[in-house]
Amino acid sequence: MSQEVYVWLAILGVTLATFLARSTVLLVGERLRLPPIVESALRYAPACALAGIIASDLLMTPAGLDLTLSNPRWLAGLAAAAIFAAFRSTIGAISGGMVVFWLLRAWFGG
Amino acid sequence: MRELLPFAPGVFAWGLVTGVAMAKSGLTVAQSLGMTFLAYAGSAQLAALPLMAAFAPLWLVTLTAVIVNLRFVVYAMVLRRHLAQLSLNTRLWLGYLTGDVMFVRYSALLEQEPDYPQRVAYFAGGATCNWIIWQVASVIGILAAGAIPAQWGLGLAGTLALIALVVPLCRDRAALAGVLVSGAIAVLAHGLPLRLGLLLGIVVGCAVAIAIQRRLASGGDAR
Repeated sequence: MSQEVYVWLAILGVTLATFLARSTVLLVGERLRLPPIVESALRYAPACALAGIIASDLLMTPAGLDLTLSNPRWLAGLAAAAIFAAFRSTIGAISGGMVVFWLLRAWFGG
Repeated sequence: MRELLPFAPGVFAWGLVTGVAMAKSGLTVAQSLGMTFLAYAGSAQLAALPLMAAFAPLWLVTLTAVIVNLRFVVYAMVLRRHLAQLSLNTRLWLGYLTGDVMFVRYSALLEQEPDYPQRVAYFAGGATCNWIIWQVASVIGILAAGAIPAQWGLGLAGTLALIALVVPLCRDRAALAGVLVSGAIAVLAHGLPLRLGLLLGIVVGCAVAIAIQRRLASGGDAR
């Protein structure tokens, strides 16, 4: 198999995988019945999913878990959360967090 | 659309970073473009790239993408009842278009107004905008890969946008506990392959949140 063919097949594989994950349950629709407790627990799924993505992105470095002040990412995240809680502004949170990140990194000479 | 606008910089930055990553991993421009338009997957694309560079078996690449995308199965479980009356075709399109940001905004809307009349249009419109912003950014990233230094740390902007999404969701103690547990597990289980730690965090986080919510609701014996 040439590399060209391989890459395209791999792209199709990723496409198929993404599509299956997103759509299968939607297609089954009403026919899928879950216990009521699972249904109500799903209410918390969005928040929990986001928390997991955020936490691993901000706290994990190539060297492992880094909760020290020399890791500017989680401090920038903290700043963004504080800005959002205070002003309810998403743009403010994103830009403020990025500024904090760049300043801290310049400070520590990263 | 106005709902989504504040998140546009985050989505844009992420798309950009994904585009750059594809171009730098050795895919040709045509292959990178094909991947972004077909898969529209973000994290699954990023997970597949190193495997593809290493010529890993195709089933492994596909399986990896399935597992990285498992959180969308959870999303679809939440959405399915609200979209059940739609035609098969529409559901397929909406499934393709579901992204993290749009899903969270939509489920927040349904919490407040379960019978919001234009809810399908809301979701479809928002998801389409998200798709456009992502694709424009990704294409720019692919074409301008050499001009965007990795040191800017632009990917962080996407994560910061998610923070703005998650803060308003922590409105009661149950949700807050779920968020903390899920975040902690995602970090502690980060060593698990294929982002399975993330899925574990969602499952345990939901379980903890619902347990606390039941306990608070029953009101009695909680000290």
